[in-house]
Amino acid sequence: MMHNSGEDIFNMVLASTVHDMKNSLSMLGESLNFILKQVDIKSLDRQTKNYYGVVQYESSRVNNSLMQLLALYKLENEQLPFNPNYFNLRDFLEEQKLKHLPLLEAKNIECDIQVDEDLEGIFDDSLIATVLENILGNAVRYTRSKILIQCTQDKFTNISISDDGPGYPEEMIELAGNYIRGINQSTGSTGLGLFFAQKIAEIHSHKDISGSILLSNGGELGGGRFEIVIP
Amino acid sequence: MIFNLAKKSTLIVEDFAEFARSVRAMLHTMGATSVDIVYNAEDAIEACKAKKYDIILSDYNLGQKKDGQQLLEELIKYKQIKSNCVFLMLTAENTAAMVMGAVEFQPDGYIAKPFNGNLLKSRLQKATERKDTLQSINRAIANKQWVEALENIKTVLPNHPKYKMSCLRLKFKVLKELNQLDKALELVTEIVAQRAIPWALEGVGEIFYRQEKLEKALDIFKNMIKEFPMALEGYDWLAKIQQKLGQPIEAQNTLSKAIEKSPKALQRQKQLGSLAEENNDLDVMTKAYRSAVKYSANSAFSSPDEYLKLTNALSLQIANNQDVISDKIISEAEATFDKLNQSFSSTNANLLRSSVAHAAFCNACKDEDKTKNYIEQSEKHYQGLDEQISSDISLELSKTLTSLGKENLAEEILNEAVQQNLDDPEFIRKAAEIGANEELINTCKKASQHNIKAINFFKNKKYLDAIQCFDKAHNLSPSNINIRLNYVQSLLKQAQNENNPADIIRTADTMMSDMPQLAFSDVRYSRYSELSRLTQLMLQKH
Repeated sequence: MMHNSGEDIFNMVLASTVHDMKNSLSMLGESLNFILKQVDIKSLDRQTKNYYGVVQYESSRVNNSLMQLLALYKLENEQLPFNPNYFNLRDFLEEQKLKHLPLLEAKNIECDIQVDEDLEGIFDDSLIATVLENILGNAVRYTRSKILIQCTQDKFTNISISDDGPGYPEEMIELAGNYIRGINQSTGSTGLGLFFAQKIAEIHSHKDISGSILLSNGGELGGGRFEIVIP
Repeated sequence: MIFNLAKKSTLIVEDFAEFARSVRAMLHTMGATSVDIVYNAEDAIEACKAKKYDIILSDYNLGQKKDGQQLLEELIKYKQIKSNCVFLMLTAENTAAMVMGAVEFQPDGYIAKPFNGNLLKSRLQKATERKDTLQSINRAIANKQWVEALENIKTVLPNHPKYKMSCLRLKFKVLKELNQLDKALELVTEIVAQRAIPWALEGVGEIFYRQEKLEKALDIFKNMIKEFPMALEGYDWLAKIQQKLGQPIEAQNTLSKAIEKSPKALQRQKQLGSLAEENNDLDVMTKAYRSAVKYSANSAFSSPDEYLKLTNALSLQIANNQDVISDKIISEAEATFDKLNQSFSSTNANLLRSSVAHAAFCNACKDEDKTKNYIEQSEKHYQGLDEQISSDISLELSKTLTSLGKENLAEEILNEAVQQNLDDPEFIRKAAEIGANEELINTCKKASQHNIKAINFFKNKKYLDAIQCFDKAHNLSPSNINIRLNYVQSLLKQAQNENNPADIIRTADTMMSDMPQLAFSDVRYSRYSELSRLTQLMLQKH
């Protein structure tokens, strides 16, 4: 039998710790928003706005990394639930934007969503949401003034996130399909997010075709462009 | 759409007080004025008895006792919430969605923590919109008005493409209830042909199973657990089919895999226990029933069964296993009997089962005085019995009493059950196996044949012929309730055709009043009370 009580305990400790930390992160975020309601965000000086952005970005990054770690651990142990279903893509993408709304507003970033009203995709919403939360978070962090979320459908569902920032470093784009090598302790790089995105895209397979991700620069808005393709 | 929270009342169920307060602050920002907070499921149930909330936001993890899903099940099962109440589950990670993927009672949505007010507002808005759109369907389903539900789906479906999948899933459920298996199969097959969605895949296998195409069902579920290893209901079905195909050991292995992934499931633990019992795997059996009793405490689906199965397993441990420390087993069994007697209502039927099992346990411990004492109690509760006991329970009691040397009482219980369940061939077979009276079985078989013939007459509206046949069946087996109810129904039908129906109605009335009272939980209760009402109504008219 595969049963291993050491693994069980680790799984339990990991899950309950993540649960606990996420509660704390919720509290941090809400407390910050509460403080900010007392002042008009738009009236803050540039530097204060900047600090606000840092707190928002870093706490959502910690949360997102926790989710990814837990999911990857479960994936390794064949315990990651995969429950694909039909979803309206506009509703789904609007929600992903709402998660970042406080920061988008504070930093005065324009975020457009281009998707047909009635487009439906088949995917596991919680897994794809975790992927997009990370990518969108990075876009908010690195863009200058705009973000564009696009979604089209041919045989596959393609969701892309473009910005007008400096774009992805060339060595990251070259990793294509091998993002595990991008996880680099010395640079504290976003490798985990891309590695996770690749794994989740791969789980979304249909008739021997599995999903994939694609990085490029100079996209719709001239900056970085992330695309996830779901068959 | 205008979404106004000002007129809605909300309940937050969250064990982490500060988080609950921050959610309340979000709701206030959205204009909510009536927001209550409780910190556990038990208080939530009390709050819902006192006030009918429009919205419930519940954490999935609520500490040691009931979790958010168990709360939802209890609220729905005991009708403590309005049919249009929006229930959103707050989760720390998506494991919750896995546990709940295919459960019978689904929340209206999940929100992963942490979330901001914008997201909460959007989710509430969408869930409300969805609930309002599907309400006519859900209400009909809750009232078991299947045909009406199907009509309502037909109206909603073309106008709301966004809810197509939700509608189809509801339609599948309704078709199953209406026993239109071919149509149900067609529906899910079409979905699966597009894409293997877990619930639809499960649906295909379920219909194959119900159509007795076991090999086909086996393939579906073997494939399902390969493709979706965390869709645990796939293992449940696979085990059920393997058992039916005479592969109890494979079935036990299949269920063990599901239990490893998620132990917190009452029905699954019970199923594993029963398979292990069949396989004489005493340790797995004990462990499974032990877990079942543990999870039973917080479940709306708890029953005395798991407690009695556990004490039976403990009896076997004492009788068959030299290595066990009997003091420890004895105190565990006594504690289980105590919990059993406290957790369920003190009807004679429950007390009878408990005392018979208790006698058996004391007998296994070779404690003669106690055994005698519990047998005496059993006899007392049997004399006081005022409701029907199910065929399974009759078998259980009869077997145990025989092993305790109380053959007479065992036979009495068994014979009564044979008369009540003569239309259930599987039960009659089991009863004959453990020594039910042969002559009685033959008489009952004859009664059953008359009953079947009469039902056919009734279906063809030949009520006089039906009455004649039901009368024969009834005379052969006077205490059988199904035959009596059938008899009364055809008498009342015939009465409508007669100019002077007074005699017929009086016969129906006598038939009804001689019948033992049915328990509210009995599946025939609604039919019984409806026929009783009709009889009284017609008596007054004539």
